[in-house]
Amino acid sequence: MSVAFNVRTLAVVALLLVGLLVPLVVQDTYIRHLFIVAFIYAVVAASWDLSLGYAGIFNFGHVAFFGIGVYATGLAAKLLGIDPWLAMVIGGLAASAAAALVALPVVRLQGIYVVLVTFAFSQLVLQVVISQSAVTGGTQGLVRVPTIELFGYNFLRDYKFGYYYVALLLLVLTVACLRWLVRSDFGLSIRALRDNEDYGVSRGIPIGLQRLKVLMFSAFFAGLAGGFYVIYLRVASPEVFSFSTVSLILSMVLVGGTSSIYGPVFAALGLTFVSEGLANVDGLAEGRFMLVAVAMIVVLLFLPGGLASALPRKRLEQPAGTGSRMRPSSLGEKA
Amino acid sequence: MKPKAHALELRELRAGYDAYDVLQGISLHVGAGERVGLFGPNGHGKTTLLNAISKIIVPRSGSVSFMGEALESLSARRIVERGLIHVPQANQLFPDMEIMETLELAAFTERARRDRNANLDYVLGLFPRLAERRRQQCKTLSGGERQMLSIGVGLMCAPRMLMLDEPTLGLSPKLKQELASAIGEISKRGIPLLLIEQDISFVLSLVDRMYFVDHGEIAREIDRGSDVDHEEIMDMYFGGHAAP
Amino acid sequence: MTADTISTILVSGIVLGSVYALMASGLSLVWTTLGIFNFAHGALMTLGAYMAWTISDAAGLDLWLAAGIAIAVAAVIGVGILMERLLIRPFYDRRDILLITVMTTLAAMIFLEKGMQLAWGARLKQLRPIVPGNVNLLGTTISAQEALIVVLAPVLLGLLWFFLRNSRIGRGIRAVGQNPAAAKLIGIDVSGLFIVTFALSAGLAALTGILLGSVRLVTPTFGAEPLVKALIIVIFGGLGSLGGTIAAAYLIGLLEAALIFFIGIYWAPSMIFVLLIAILLIRPQGLLGKVER
Repeated sequence: MSVAFNVRTLAVVALLLVGLLVPLVVQDTYIRHLFIVAFIYAVVAASWDLSLGYAGIFNFGHVAFFGIGVYATGLAAKLLGIDPWLAMVIGGLAASAAAALVALPVVRLQGIYVVLVTFAFSQLVLQVVISQSAVTGGTQGLVRVPTIELFGYNFLRDYKFGYYYVALLLLVLTVACLRWLVRSDFGLSIRALRDNEDYGVSRGIPIGLQRLKVLMFSAFFAGLAGGFYVIYLRVASPEVFSFSTVSLILSMVLVGGTSSIYGPVFAALGLTFVSEGLANVDGLAEGRFMLVAVAMIVVLLFLPGGLASALPRKRLEQPAGTGSRMRPSSLGEKA
Repeated sequence: MKPKAHALELRELRAGYDAYDVLQGISLHVGAGERVGLFGPNGHGKTTLLNAISKIIVPRSGSVSFMGEALESLSARRIVERGLIHVPQANQLFPDMEIMETLELAAFTERARRDRNANLDYVLGLFPRLAERRRQQCKTLSGGERQMLSIGVGLMCAPRMLMLDEPTLGLSPKLKQELASAIGEISKRGIPLLLIEQDISFVLSLVDRMYFVDHGEIAREIDRGSDVDHEEIMDMYFGGHAAP
Repeated sequence: MTADTISTILVSGIVLGSVYALMASGLSLVWTTLGIFNFAHGALMTLGAYMAWTISDAAGLDLWLAAGIAIAVAAVIGVGILMERLLIRPFYDRRDILLITVMTTLAAMIFLEKGMQLAWGARLKQLRPIVPGNVNLLGTTISAQEALIVVLAPVLLGLLWFFLRNSRIGRGIRAVGQNPAAAKLIGIDVSGLFIVTFALSAGLAALTGILLGSVRLVTPTFGAEPLVKALIIVIFGGLGSLGGTIAAAYLIGLLEAALIFFIGIYWAPSMIFVLLIAILLIRPQGLLGKVER
């Protein structure tokens, strides 16, 4: 399982270097902003892939974890005066806690019921946020959220230079953690459960516990991303729970392909730029989501493995003969 | 040299699931009004054969013709419309529907609807037990009753030929007899039959000819009139290694 | 608890329950027959309401309302058929059809919602009620239109039930849902019936949307909240049985009415969800449902 001179690893390292150099080359604040948002979405998409793709849990409430991170961090920083760095971590933890709550019914349910419960959960969170407007600002949102500081470095006046690197760091850490997770024994066990639940259970994999852990892990990163999002933008709005956001991020997961962590990351970068680019076109501010929806459908119809499946892949992570699969079968596999 | 077309004729039929061919080029025929049996060890393609004829699966190559008409381009329901009816093995039918509903529904095609009431009377007469339980749901039926209903359903489709896949599987000897006589009754109407059965003696009593299917091929054709004894059949099953 | 209170809760509960029953039945029909969950159902409802509004409002005459309704329903059915062909049929053979169609119908929902927002704008619209004025039911006053809904829902559902039970196509639809292979072998055109079922469901959605649109304000997302309620209902009632779904719909309607009365409209949805979780912990197949499909 040596990864030494893998072409893919080299490519990733090269891209990372490019990523580090971007703010030195790109001075435009708006473009830097796009990168930052893209990195954040990438974290959400990649962590969604953990529960949806690798563990095969039909979790459709993932974006709610992101939103919980947004609001938990925002409220912690603004109302409780907690240091924004810490508040971000709190955002992640709050999302994890919510995941634990959702996991209770979900781990015992099958198929469509998981979809329905997680989906209903995300709607519920939206309801709570809107209804508790005294605290959350309701549909107007939360404003004037304090932002991070680092030894006196002022993040607000440097044209997003500092934020960029924090966001990139967040992304790199998340990807590293997620990749480590999926290659660990834990990762093997959740894939085993995905591919053949009964067999996995009979071999002693504690299905409820593993699913709980998966949900909590993936929620943590999404919550963390949400925390950074609110600290960066300094506002929070219920838009984060909207179907538009869900569809955008889901399409990142689908386009990127559920069989790798990198896929959704690159898809996030691409789709964020495309989506934002379209937002500036006259009349497409809302209409662009129709295009996102169409893109999702097209991918599902023609490239169910995501764009990543169109590229030749090194199969270092999987034993010979098994592709990465989505439970209960590969996307694209015929019955 | 056939004065008129066979009821069913297969030529070099190849079919299978996924990447494998189960049927290795089967050729056989069922003449008009003839009763033909298929027997052989499990897993060697008998059910696959019926599935390929009725288009549950699509054959890879070879030809099938029914009453002189090629079936290549026809879908499953068109084949049913033509009157070639497949009664599958261990049919779970429609668990939440009642016996009467199921029988009435089975006269779905236009042709079947024309004779619906007549066929309904016939089926209930053939299987009085079904008449007794007409409002019972399929999922509550016993194995034997379900088999009867399965055959009844096939009859309601106004068959011009019936293909039965192990109609007496798992039934008690008494029920086997009941079904055997019912099948005999049906064939007296002149409907050609293709019958899959494990129970040799059962098959022998009902059919005019038999094919032995082994590893996806026809290994042997046996006429009823010819002398075949039990031991020879055991040989066929166990490849000549059967202990006496 | 006074008689007035009981009456209020009962009546508003029945009104809610009637709407939910219509909605959940459409979902249940598609689920039991095609085995998929149509997330765009709410959007189809909304589309029906918008189309009926356009036709009846543009004309300005009351008798155009009937025409508006008919055309709206037909149009939505057309959209439904299109959806089935593009978003569901291509995946018939796939083992993970459920997951894929969740995503395609979700995409369809977004497409429709945004499309309606572009076409009709985000401002609120109101459909003219078919019957004006108010009515007194069990001591509580509701609008005559709401009373109409209460009466119409069981009628429509009764018709649906009768159709499924006694007609050839209706029985065929049931058969396809229970055993598609066996259905093929008696000559049923399975994919044809899939279309019929989806069209039926879409038509039902349109009617529900039109009825609802006459007592609530129509916005592009006005189908989203009932959809979530419908989700909860099908989980409570179990997706597999139409009867169970309808019963659950009325139950949830009553429950919601009671909760709104006692703990307010903001907390009611959360309470329902908490109850849902509690029920699922005890009975993973829902209150009235069978073990999942």
